[in-house]
Amino acid sequence: MAYKRILVPLAGSAVDPDVVRLAVSIGKAAKAQLLGVHVIEVRWNLPLDAILDAELDHGEGLLAGAARIAAQAGGELETELLQAREAAAAIIDTAHERACDLILLGMPYRRRLGRTYVSRTVEEVYLGAHCAVLAYRQEASQ
Amino acid sequence: MDRADRRGSGEREASSLEERTTRPGALPGNRYVRIVRPKEFRRGLGGTYVATDEALRSPSAAGRAYDVLRHILFGRPISTELELSERLSVPTGLGVLATDNISSSAYSIEEVMRVLALAGTGALFLTMPIGIAIIVVLGIVIISQTQVIRTYPGGGGSYAVAKHELGTLPGLVVAGSLLIDYVLTVAVSTAAGVDAIGSFVQPVYQHRVFFGVALIALIMLGNLRGVREAGLIFAGPTYVYLLAMLGLILFGAFHIFSGTMPPTAVPPAPFPATGTEALGVFLILRAFASGCAALTGAEAVANGTPTLRPPEARNGVITVLLMGSVYGVVLLGLTFLAAQTHALPDAKEQETIMSVVTRTFVGTGPYYYLVQVSTSLLLILAANTGFTGFPRLASVLADDRFMPRQFSFRGERLAFSVGIVALAVAAGLVLAAFGGSVTNLIPLYTIGVFMAFTLAQSGLVRRWWVRHERGWHWRIAISAIGAFATGATLLIVAFTKFEYGAWMVIVTLPLLVVLLLSIHAHYRSVADALVIEDPDRAQLQVATPIVLVPIARLDLSSLRALAFAVAVSPLVRAVHVATSKESAAAFRARWDSWSGRHLKDGREIPLDVIESPYRALIQPLLKYIDRIDERDPRPITVVLAEFIPRHWWELILHSQTAFRLRWALLFRPNTIVIDVPYHFASVGHQEEPLGREA
Repeated sequence: MAYKRILVPLAGSAVDPDVVRLAVSIGKAAKAQLLGVHVIEVRWNLPLDAILDAELDHGEGLLAGAARIAAQAGGELETELLQAREAAAAIIDTAHERACDLILLGMPYRRRLGRTYVSRTVEEVYLGAHCAVLAYRQEASQ
Repeated sequence: MDRADRRGSGEREASSLEERTTRPGALPGNRYVRIVRPKEFRRGLGGTYVATDEALRSPSAAGRAYDVLRHILFGRPISTELELSERLSVPTGLGVLATDNISSSAYSIEEVMRVLALAGTGALFLTMPIGIAIIVVLGIVIISQTQVIRTYPGGGGSYAVAKHELGTLPGLVVAGSLLIDYVLTVAVSTAAGVDAIGSFVQPVYQHRVFFGVALIALIMLGNLRGVREAGLIFAGPTYVYLLAMLGLILFGAFHIFSGTMPPTAVPPAPFPATGTEALGVFLILRAFASGCAALTGAEAVANGTPTLRPPEARNGVITVLLMGSVYGVVLLGLTFLAAQTHALPDAKEQETIMSVVTRTFVGTGPYYYLVQVSTSLLLILAANTGFTGFPRLASVLADDRFMPRQFSFRGERLAFSVGIVALAVAAGLVLAAFGGSVTNLIPLYTIGVFMAFTLAQSGLVRRWWVRHERGWHWRIAISAIGAFATGATLLIVAFTKFEYGAWMVIVTLPLLVVLLLSIHAHYRSVADALVIEDPDRAQLQVATPIVLVPIARLDLSSLRALAFAVAVSPLVRAVHVATSKESAAAFRARWDSWSGRHLKDGREIPLDVIESPYRALIQPLLKYIDRIDERDPRPITVVLAEFIPRHWWELILHSQTAFRLRWALLFRPNTIVIDVPYHFASVGHQEEPLGREA
């Protein structure tokens, strides 16, 4: 299936570069539009639109890095910063609003209590998104 | 209160490039904020904005085409953050910073021989002893330079040492000497390179000025692409030359020691056996002085240490030691071959001694061409050392406010573009003025560099003496020997070459120093005039200005200027210069019939109509402004209505009075000039004038 608009949530983990490269290769054939988003989760004791300098700097940095990786892989990644209480809801709503037909999630390989750990955000997006969701888990060796 | 809290309490930030829109989520409570930034800027650390590639993109097609051309010629812009990755490794640094010094081996010994040959070819037996003397001086200079690098790793080389240890004036003498020498490095190296090609391609010899200037332009382009890229381009020929020379020296030495030396090749116009001058001390010293051209470029590493990768000082010392060792071996080897073969220099400079020696041992086969081509390439690229040194030194001087500030600006490729272009122009002019002849240029050479060596070493002697830093006893000995040796060489060079052209440098140097001091005096006076002495008491205050609006005709452009003037001050006067009584009356009538000529408080905007029977516009207006200014201490503000056509070439269809008036008022004190442009969009779709209500 050819995807026209792919949303790539980026959390700044080690798996981000792999997910960006994968998104470029998936979207290349259909010349899909790639949208990389980073969600800053705002604590409940602050207003939703609070200016969080450190988080903004971090978010900008990782989005710029992701755009560079996409460019090196031969694609173009449009980037967007979001602020929300819950990252998963903002990702699902953005995908819906921007009419994305695929959300490509990245999961670093982590184990907790003897099981591979799936973060709450990944789980919620996987279960709640209207469009197709593809989750990419890093290799165990990495 | 941090910014998060301030924002939360409802206090708004000043205008920002960031737009925040709150979006409703699919479920209540899932609202989120989209932070939209313009593509042209991204957020940098600490709340700053960083201009992106998009901000540099030209809006017009012509501008974009120009950008593409520029990127092809000079490469894509390099971000300041990548400065460290643009630094040079030791091997590349040797290729870039040492080319001048290493390449001198190709012609310095020939210059010695050419001077000795004036006393007849029998005097050439002194070539080897003079060569050894030059190598001894080189050794002293190299050791001295390692001290300069270790003490001043921040660059500036001899200038920095002399300025800090001896004072500003000696520092400027060093700087001036080096600047002159860098120009001459480029001119001499290029001329020598063209000569080397001219040895086997006659048309090049016949048009050597043209080829020399063209080569300087090419090297300039390479350097405008950035230090690292220039290094990668130019390092290759250095190593090819070194390998070719070492091969030739070993091959020649084998023939000499095995007693199978072939007959010596003869150049087209060898020096005659009987000379025109007597072999005396002066001639020997002059030959030594000419050979000392070989030492130029030895200061390039110390000057360009900041271009090397960290640890800069360590890498600089390694580079300068490698340079000295390699150069010593090549110079000694070549001198040995030339002395053993009894090769004769060409009186008309048609063939180099290097070509004669190479031809003697390997004939005119492929190896001959390898040596000749690599030599000519290296000689041409030796000019690159000048292109590395001059712009960097000029930038240090510009930072110290001794040269125009433009010299310290880095171009898109992190190169000091203004310095590079200035050097190319100066070297091209010198090369053309001396007809592209190495022999004519050589007498000007080396004075500057030995002046710099001597003062820098004297400065270090003073430093060790005053500060008594660790190891000062042996350091002071090295620096003193260096100062003495280079000072003695300087005197010999200046004395023996004076009448052959060195006087030009001796005259130019003080003039250049005066120029540098004058520039500094200007910057100091400007800084004194602009400095905020007490930041706590500095206020943003200006008296309400008298605003004068020159009006050529009452149209939308003039109305826009008047509307702006009224918004700035209540003290507005319109002025019209008429070329005849009739046109004055017509303008007055049109003004009186205009209902919008009133200020906010109901008063009418005063209008002065000046009749100019000689049809001059600017001069009567300037005199009018002078008279108004005399009567009132408040600042004069002149608001100019300027009509801007759609295309630049349509400008020639308009009189450009506003432009001429703005230029005439540029240097007028107590006068603010404000330009109110009116952009012509298209017929029937013109800009709205500024309403006074706005």
